[in-house]
Amino acid sequence: MLFKVAWRNIWRNKMRSIVVISSVAVGLFAGMFLMAFFWGLAKQEVDIAVETQLSHIQIHNPAFPDDKGVNDTIQNSAVLAEQLKKDSAIKAVSARIVTTGMISSSTTAAGVEIHGIIPAEETTISSISSDITEGSYFSGKPNEIVIGKKLVEKLGVKLHSKIVLTFQSKSGDLTAGSFRIAGIFRSRNSGFDEITVFTNSNEMGQLLGTGSAVHEIAIMLKDGKKADTIKAFYKKEYPGLLVQTWSELSPEMAMLNGLFDQIMYIIIGIILLALMFGIINTMLMAVLERQREFGMLMAIGMNKPRVFIMVVLESFMLTCIGIPAGILLTLLSVHLLSKHGIDLSAFSQALSSFGFSNIIYPELQTSMFLPISLMTAFTAILSGIYPAIKALQFKPAEAIHKI
Amino acid sequence: MNNIIETHNLSKIYNPDTVPVNAVNGVDLHIEEGEFTALVGPSGSGKTTLLNLIGGLDYPTTGDVKIDGVDITKMSENKLIDFRLHNIGFVFQAYNLIPVLTAAENIEFVMMMLKKTKQERDLRVRELLAEVGLTDKSKNRPTELSGGQQQRVAVARALASKPRFILADEPTANLDSKSTANLLDIMAKLNIEDKMTFIFSTHDQRVIDKARRIVTLVDGKIVSDTKQ
Repeated sequence: MLFKVAWRNIWRNKMRSIVVISSVAVGLFAGMFLMAFFWGLAKQEVDIAVETQLSHIQIHNPAFPDDKGVNDTIQNSAVLAEQLKKDSAIKAVSARIVTTGMISSSTTAAGVEIHGIIPAEETTISSISSDITEGSYFSGKPNEIVIGKKLVEKLGVKLHSKIVLTFQSKSGDLTAGSFRIAGIFRSRNSGFDEITVFTNSNEMGQLLGTGSAVHEIAIMLKDGKKADTIKAFYKKEYPGLLVQTWSELSPEMAMLNGLFDQIMYIIIGIILLALMFGIINTMLMAVLERQREFGMLMAIGMNKPRVFIMVVLESFMLTCIGIPAGILLTLLSVHLLSKHGIDLSAFSQALSSFGFSNIIYPELQTSMFLPISLMTAFTAILSGIYPAIKALQFKPAEAIHKI
Repeated sequence: MNNIIETHNLSKIYNPDTVPVNAVNGVDLHIEEGEFTALVGPSGSGKTTLLNLIGGLDYPTTGDVKIDGVDITKMSENKLIDFRLHNIGFVFQAYNLIPVLTAAENIEFVMMMLKKTKQERDLRVRELLAEVGLTDKSKNRPTELSGGQQQRVAVARALASKPRFILADEPTANLDSKSTANLLDIMAKLNIEDKMTFIFSTHDQRVIDKARRIVTLVDGKIVSDTKQ
């Protein structure tokens, strides 16, 4: 009966209840949509980094990450790469020579990270081939180089221009090689485009004097979520090698993702706090308007716990109607926008420099529904407490005669 | 006959620290089981305050109120609520039904608080609605009932817990003549047939005429107490 009374009470002033329900729904939608937006943003950032640069797992000589020494190659890399390719959980493998050097045009020079790749292998693992905006992705001619748009602008060169790469060889001597720009790429990370160049690994191996040895084996998994498990397996399998997941290779990105989560919960908390005051205000009004009724209820024998529960129930019910409405609103909008994305081209330069895409595809994590719904329901209960305490303070003899 | 209600030197002073008002001033009153008593007097004479004190809706400044020998003025607020639920029926001037419940549900509500079974509740609701002549209005909400009908539902609700007595504060003040007569007939019948004790506060001569005992209050004091 208490449920029935509470339920009917919330519909006594339909407009007021609808306003509260709407504010719960809109508040929840705002918070959840923001979460979906930032999750989409963060996921895309990771995807971009994984696809262009990091892949899911990388294997190195343990000495390599410290100073990227030319001699810190992986022993028997070709055999290892072949073994990895046989793993059904692995989608693709690419062996890379990685070194740093200078790139020079006729007018200027810049520091770069040189990736010596097997073009066909790299295609299976990175998106660079599809990011080509001018020219082609390695046509098969000798001494081809693929460089980023940003670097092209910096060096003042164009497609088919000749550039020179200077780097330290295995013997410690400075070596230079002349290359022709075969293709210009533009990834979604302008920072990456500015410092990364791709050449053929055979040619780089010869120039470096490392032969067929490589510095890095990049692994793309069929399911990126299994990165930690597969990494653990290969770490045990190859104890002499350094096996790292993308989050270990780019801890700042992993940290940023974690930070997004925390910021989102803080934002949700702020929204719920604002919502709480709205509900308190409405419930307080409802309680004060019904002072005579509360007086009568206590007069005829409704005890204080029942009065308290009734008021809190009303607040809880109002919110519980708003929660599914908010979730539905979020699902619909995210469903729509996850197909077409949110175009933030106006901020493309800033977004690109941080490695974010211009078009953000919001993404919902269904696991967030429960904690957010519980947080909202808890807010509703909290919001009902003060008005309920207020109702308990009425003196029946006085309250009955209130107009 | 047993005294169902006894008050001794009962006083209620409002605003004792600022402008003291002696709403009830040293009232000694005994009500026997089965009485049909009207508290009369001019406005501000203390009728409602005395009813509130007898009904445990307010605490006196001095004196005590005994219901069946139990001093309710010593009870905590929570115990008093429970005591009222089990022992006292209330009828208010403004009906004060729960607006979101139907006539039947309003009556049932009290029995729900008494934790009666569904079967017991249904049976009693039917009995009471029949007693107040509102069987056909059981599903109507208060806004769909006339003032007289609402007050009859209020009487039925007051009877739902089978209380020791019913306190009615100006029950006919908002009713027309026909509804007043109807309500008085029902209450008189309950008093005679079921020996239900009624205590009214009233200005209404029609109620006074029906009462078998008339207690007149002036300035919070009993100035006359007559049986007719």
